Amino acid sequence: MTVPRENGSGDGVVVTGLGVVAPPGRGLAAFWDGLASGRTSIGEVSLFDTSRHRTRVGGEVRPIDAREPRGGRGGPPSRTDSFALAAARLAIGHAGLPRTALARAGVFLGSSTGGMFEGERVYAALTDAGRRERARVGRLRDQPLGCAAESVARAWGVRGPVETVCSACAASTMALEAALSSLRLGECEVAIAGGADALCELTYGGFNSLRAVSDAPCRPFRADRSGLSLGEGAGILVLETEASARAGGRTPLAELAGAGSSCDAHHMTAPDPGGTGAALALRAALNDAGVRAEDVDLVSAHGTGTPHNEAAEFAALESVFGARAREIAVTATKGATGHLLGACGAVEAVAVVAALGAGAIPPTSGSGAVDDACPVDLVEGAARPIARDAVAVSLNMAFGGANSAVVLRGRPEPGGERP
Amino acid sequence: MSRPVVLSGIGHLGPHGPGLEELVRGLEAGSLPTDEVDTRAGFHAPGTARRAAFVPAGACDRWVPAREARRMSPPSRMAVAAARMALEDAELEPDRVAGSDTAVVLGTAFGSTTFTSRLLDQANEEGPLGMSPFLFMETVANAHAGQVGLALEARGPNYTISQGEASALLAVARAAELVASGRARRALAGAVDEISPVLHAALGRLGALSPPRPDGSGERPRPLQQDRDGFVLAEGATVLLLERAEDAERRGGRARARLRAWIRGNDPSGRPGRHGTDARGLSAGLRAGLERADVALSSLERFVSCASGSVAGDLLEAGILRDLLGDGGSFDVVAPKECVGEFAGGFLAAAALGAAPGGAAPAPESTLVELARGRPRPPGRSLWSALSSGGAAAWLVADTDARP
Repeated sequence: MTVPRENGSGDGVVVTGLGVVAPPGRGLAAFWDGLASGRTSIGEVSLFDTSRHRTRVGGEVRPIDAREPRGGRGGPPSRTDSFALAAARLAIGHAGLPRTALARAGVFLGSSTGGMFEGERVYAALTDAGRRERARVGRLRDQPLGCAAESVARAWGVRGPVETVCSACAASTMALEAALSSLRLGECEVAIAGGADALCELTYGGFNSLRAVSDAPCRPFRADRSGLSLGEGAGILVLETEASARAGGRTPLAELAGAGSSCDAHHMTAPDPGGTGAALALRAALNDAGVRAEDVDLVSAHGTGTPHNEAAEFAALESVFGARAREIAVTATKGATGHLLGACGAVEAVAVVAALGAGAIPPTSGSGAVDDACPVDLVEGAARPIARDAVAVSLNMAFGGANSAVVLRGRPEPGGERP
Repeated sequence: MSRPVVLSGIGHLGPHGPGLEELVRGLEAGSLPTDEVDTRAGFHAPGTARRAAFVPAGACDRWVPAREARRMSPPSRMAVAAARMALEDAELEPDRVAGSDTAVVLGTAFGSTTFTSRLLDQANEEGPLGMSPFLFMETVANAHAGQVGLALEARGPNYTISQGEASALLAVARAAELVASGRARRALAGAVDEISPVLHAALGRLGALSPPRPDGSGERPRPLQQDRDGFVLAEGATVLLLERAEDAERRGGRARARLRAWIRGNDPSGRPGRHGTDARGLSAGLRAGLERADVALSSLERFVSCASGSVAGDLLEAGILRDLLGDGGSFDVVAPKECVGEFAGGFLAAAALGAAPGGAAPAPESTLVELARGRPRPPGRSLWSALSSGGAAAWLVADTDARP
């Protein structure tokens, strides 16, 4: 059996560029400023009428960025595609990647809403006999979940692998895992990896139907947390082999050292309360990275703000880290951004790399005592110093029981760009 | 270290019904059964397709009892059924796959569109407070893979990939990589899709489906034929059991095929939902991938084409084929989507079985590339192709076991 040749040099895979479009801001500096301030960017949703929904708030990207070129003829890109294209442009620019390097790249994105924001409007028109023949059915070409990855590939002339993972809230972390695998195998030398999702009424109403949404900005790990806040945006990381980065004169910001995934096989929406599945993903990622649990300095938690999630997540952390689960610094960025669904893992990975570069862990937005049932060392109030060559894990837990984790290791060398 | 990967089980349900025998019979007959789509909602535009290839009612019942089926959308039922069928075919008891070393990787182009439209209807008619949490849960694209994981207690990586017409083969490639790299001992990999009136109508309005013809010969897939005019939408599920060759041998399992290589690429010349035109670029990527995998083009005996009757897609595929055939390739070309339709992975089952449409071959002058019929020679090394209308491409090389 043969697959694309293995990366025989033993080179690691590094992050050389970051791009983000998220409620705290467009671009790494604005995003980081928002996170580091401890402020939440979750507020009243203006994208659609929330007056008939149970809740009103969410993490909305505003104003929407000017429509990015999609690299071919056609109408405007979907909101999700716009986020992906904008974040990709920022990441590629940050890395200083020439277009010639991108022809041989791969694109690996996660998404769970795709073009649904536009699609639900077309559907509403199709179901109305008076509007049916004016329905903009062409917009449905942007509906499929794989469109954002194909839009990015098209815009930059990518001829390598293009793959969209749509495993709900674990999607973009799994996309990072997929990219890591392809880079290690030598299938490509550069990968544009991450995720993008836009708010839409289907998802907003759907999560509300599960009674999972808070009527105020979510407060991960707090004792009186009352649910999640939905959000939107995109996070893109430029990943490449160390050899590729060296050859291109690009400075690694961090190493993507490992990744791992699992399935709870417990329940379709609620996490396994024992955290067994999430622990499996964490261990698989640490094993893949060759990192011991005791060497982890930071956990970027999934931290949605629902009672079930944090309890299960702490159980997973305890299973893997033992008593250290109460001592390792934990940050949960959803308090600032909302839950970006298929994009959350990528945006959280961007936040981790930015934190390592800044030598500071962003505080978790919100106030209130940490829940005794999940007594993590939550970074809150102000950013906390961390060594730039620290080791971090980022964990995501999804519907369908999918779990995924990545291990990121910072770089001590000077010259790594700060946000 | 890369471990040899074998395909040791196939589970399939599709328009010919549940099971491999029904599929093979349908292929040999050269037919694709279709039925009228429910058009009462008024979504369909005049002159567009009205027929699609449905899974017969009750097809999942033997593998998914009613008490389980109640908690699932139609695609989840089909996926779970196909997964259990794959284990049966592999003669592997379900309790042998429970655990963290079994991955599930499914492709789906559209997810559960019936549940999505029902949920949108609820929101439109009753307001958001009327939305059903059960419907919502199953509209998430990874619900079907999650249900397979739950049903089989498969706790390894659980991926769902959505990349249009390439979803199925990309899922198999991802699964093969998981097994080859040691991240899983085995993987249940494949695809699932379902038909809904709004999906069918939308594809028809976008010009993707083969429309009716005045002489009644319309609404048929004509892969690679000059007078093709679109594909026929199909539903169903196909799941393949992939495992380490050593594990299959140890348990006395049969390897239906050995997966030799998987190659992925992209054509950036397309537009959203419309195939591009850079056959030469794709062909170059495919040839480079074959070279990296030490697979000689001249060793390919069969090209299992993804051609579906799509006007632009088949033209792109034909360009790739002509490039390969002119460069030392001497393989037969078969196009199983003539008998399994587009989406839902029926193509995978046909490819894995080494089966091809039977009946009289179209006259060579009426096709873009000459098509083989039936099994003109025992299947040996075959290459399976997938081209997404958004640009993504995937190919897989399999050494197919000649035994039935």
